[in-house]
Amino acid sequence: MAMIDLDKMLVKIKNSQWALADIDWDAPGAELITEEQWPKLKEFMADLMWIEHVGARGFAALAKKAPNDTLKEIYTYFHAEEQRHANAEMALMRRWGMLDGDEIPEPNINLRLVIEWLDKYSDDMPLETLGSVIPMLEIALDGALCKFLLDSVKDPVCHQAFDKINDDESRHLGVGFTVLEMQGHGKLYQLVLKAMGTLMRPTLILGILSYLPLLNRMRDNIVEMGLKEESLYAAMKKFETIGGRTEHGRRNPWYQIISRHGRIVVDRRNRFYHVPVDAAVKLTNYIPPSILPPIPTWVKELTWKPTA
Amino acid sequence: MRNTVSLDKTVAEKKMLKPAAAKKPAVKKNTGEITLAQLESTESVAGQVNTADVLIIGAGFAGLGTAIRLQQAGVKNIVILERSTDVGGTWRDNTYPGAACDIPSNLYSYSFAQNPDWSRSFSGSGEILDYIHHLVEQFRLRPLIRFQRNVTGLVFDENTGEWNATTACGEQYRARAAVMASGPLSNASFPNMPGIETFKGHKIHSAKWDHSYDFTGKRVAVIGTGASGIQIIPELAKQAEFVKVFQRTPGWVLPRPDFVTPEWNKNLFHKMPAAQTALRRALFWGHESMALGIIWHSPLTALVEQVARSHLHAQVKDPWLRRQLTPDFRIGCKRVLISNDYYPALQKPNCKLITWPIATLCENGIRTAEGIEHQFDCIVFATGFDVCKNGSPLPVTGVNGRQLGEEWKRGAQAYKSISVAGYPNLFFTFGPNSGPGHNSALVYMESQIDYSVQGIKTILQRNLKLLDVKADVQQRYNHAIQKRLAKTNWNSGCKSWYLSEDGFNSTMYPGFATQYANQMKHFNLDHYRAINA
Ligand SMILES: Cc1cc2nc3c(=O)[nH]c(=O)nc-3n(C[C@H](O)[C@H](O)[C@H](O)COP(=O)(O)OP(=O)(O)OC[C@H]3O[C@@H](n4cnc5c(N)ncnc54)[C@H](O)[C@@H]3O)c2cc1C
Ligand SMILES: [Fe+2]
Ligand SMILES: [Fe+2]
Repeated sequence: MAMIDLDKMLVKIKNSQWALADIDWDAPGAELITEEQWPKLKEFMADLMWIEHVGARGFAALAKKAPNDTLKEIYTYFHAEEQRHANAEMALMRRWGMLDGDEIPEPNINLRLVIEWLDKYSDDMPLETLGSVIPMLEIALDGALCKFLLDSVKDPVCHQAFDKINDDESRHLGVGFTVLEMQGHGKLYQLVLKAMGTLMRPTLILGILSYLPLLNRMRDNIVEMGLKEESLYAAMKKFETIGGRTEHGRRNPWYQIISRHGRIVVDRRNRFYHVPVDAAVKLTNYIPPSILPPIPTWVKELTWKPTA
Repeated sequence: MRNTVSLDKTVAEKKMLKPAAAKKPAVKKNTGEITLAQLESTESVAGQVNTADVLIIGAGFAGLGTAIRLQQAGVKNIVILERSTDVGGTWRDNTYPGAACDIPSNLYSYSFAQNPDWSRSFSGSGEILDYIHHLVEQFRLRPLIRFQRNVTGLVFDENTGEWNATTACGEQYRARAAVMASGPLSNASFPNMPGIETFKGHKIHSAKWDHSYDFTGKRVAVIGTGASGIQIIPELAKQAEFVKVFQRTPGWVLPRPDFVTPEWNKNLFHKMPAAQTALRRALFWGHESMALGIIWHSPLTALVEQVARSHLHAQVKDPWLRRQLTPDFRIGCKRVLISNDYYPALQKPNCKLITWPIATLCENGIRTAEGIEHQFDCIVFATGFDVCKNGSPLPVTGVNGRQLGEEWKRGAQAYKSISVAGYPNLFFTFGPNSGPGHNSALVYMESQIDYSVQGIKTILQRNLKLLDVKADVQQRYNHAIQKRLAKTNWNSGCKSWYLSEDGFNSTMYPGFATQYANQMKHFNLDHYRAINA
């Protein structure tokens, strides 16, 4: 993916807006979800919707860090668009009878930790860090999760919604990789030094500590649903390939860190990594939710209702 | 200013204004009612030429103030052309609930016509309009004003040295000098938002309030959180079923020391005007000191930002809402807002701040980018004004047919904000780079008015055909202004209506009001090209 013209991209984004009301959430097809699929799909959708929402918060942090007005406005839109994806996915869950009344799905403990971290520290993270993690998450979503979902769910409304979501995602990726490359400019040793500095920040370490178990837990949920580990691996490969296509992309230390890490996450044979992280997943299960601070109000903005 | 004014008698007598009302052709209309507008607009005949010494375009604070000071200086043959049916400009148009000045009334009024009766420190729009009406009565301005005369073009005649104004109804007005007082913020229109024409509910612009609309029980949107928006929102939140506030960028909000004026205070000001003058001076210097923080980046900037942040912190407890309301530009870069009740209103149970970008307006409301359609009975547009930063407020043709609109396309320029080379005998109020960021507009206006009066008196007394600022003088002045602007907070990187699309600042004056007043005090004839009639 070559560098794109961000001004043109912003215009394109503005012209590509859609709303939940564009979709008839009561159209026939919901019955195509099989009884066997239902419980796992419910878990999967809840995870997916939370990743979108967490991604949304990431973009909100990026908007504060954007080096120019155009990118700032783009990130402001992406923040809203990820929220839109989460909202649409909740509307699907509701259509499939997976929501308890008006309730939003309960976030699991690892999500709670990540939300907590995002709420407290994400606004202080440098652009390079979040700007590099987000494309990785996006490509994992785009390349593996959504594709898998569409392969296994026959409901046409689901396909209709994901056509729109994926269309948005293609723009997110375009911008994501452009920024990844932008961050690879400058002297290599300076880039590396800066990355090292950031990596050693206690707040980032805390973030990583809450993020790693989340990835493993999700991987387990997804594999449970029948997704082949190879397709996750293929998605990571895609991040490596696209991000590393240009010299500047490769020079971005965050690209190097994240793509290597991505490879490890999907390779279960790497016991040095997975034994402790899986243990952390188990450990976090013992954290009583009551000791966590209340859910931040930005989470309460989620809704499956097309009109308000 | 010279003390005595002796008007050139011959000129003054020759150019007697023919009373327009003298000719009143019968109005024939076969269908429908005859509106006041039709009646008045046919009072003078199209093609007829009306003459005066001075033409003033606009009957707002600036136009009326100019007329008062001209009269006091002995220039009496004045015509004020006003497109509306009443005086007052800003304060005639902005009557939305909560409308008030955000500079204390004792400073937001003319020093030559102080009002001891201001009911509170920051008066409401109605009281300011009353003050303006009072000025009109006290200084007998009404006979000078021609209402419903929308000036559509201004052309300079080099042979006679006269400005020729054409109105929408086809009349012509000629005068030795003209004052452009058409207002910096006088044109408001609905913004060009996608889907705006599809909305089926009620639409109201803050500057053209619809007082017949009852908000009780209504679902209301307010678009815009600038100076008008933050005044409207607390009032609507008291009435409407719910109010959703659509914000693009949050502004800096400072607390507002608003209080009711006690009776003894009014009595004091009546008996001892000097006390009021003293207060006015104190207020003036208080605002002047703010310039240090607001106009330039100084230690005071951080301090003022801290005051605003503490105000936010004290009034808003939820961290996310606080984040949404925290500006990410330096204070002063955009107009600083003043309010005590805006933040509390946003947190009322029937009020909600929405920061998602607006994707489109639709039949039932507003669709935002998070995919939700917010439905409303009424949308209030507090979206500001069409500020002309590029181009002139109306078509103006100077010597050799030069077009002001063309010349100002890439950013307006003038000498001391008031004279433009190639456009002799013309004076601008609120011209290029005259905007105050920290002090009362009327303080600036008084300086402009007194400068114009000196210029106009010079033209009339010396019987000049042409009084035209020298191009090189104007150029040097602007060079210096732009150099100083580069160091201000307005040019520190945020988008605002102070700047043109390509970031040129032709609106604000980079300095203290005192500096501005000093530069306007002296009318230096050497800076002008003067040609006798
Ligand atoms: C809501 C609001 C609040 C404000 N609060 C403050 C404040 O607190 N402190 C402060 O210092 N400033 C404030 N301002 C700025 C304010 O605009 C000035 O202070 C001042 O009122 C401007 O006066 P004016 O006479 O120059 O313009 P206006 O009051 O706009 O008057 C211009 C007049 O010219 C007429 N006109 C325009 N074009 C034509 C034409 N072509 N032909 C004939 N007539 C025409 C208009 O109808 C209008 O009557 C505020 C502005 C607004 C909008
Ligand atoms: Fe998404
Ligand atoms: Fe995305």
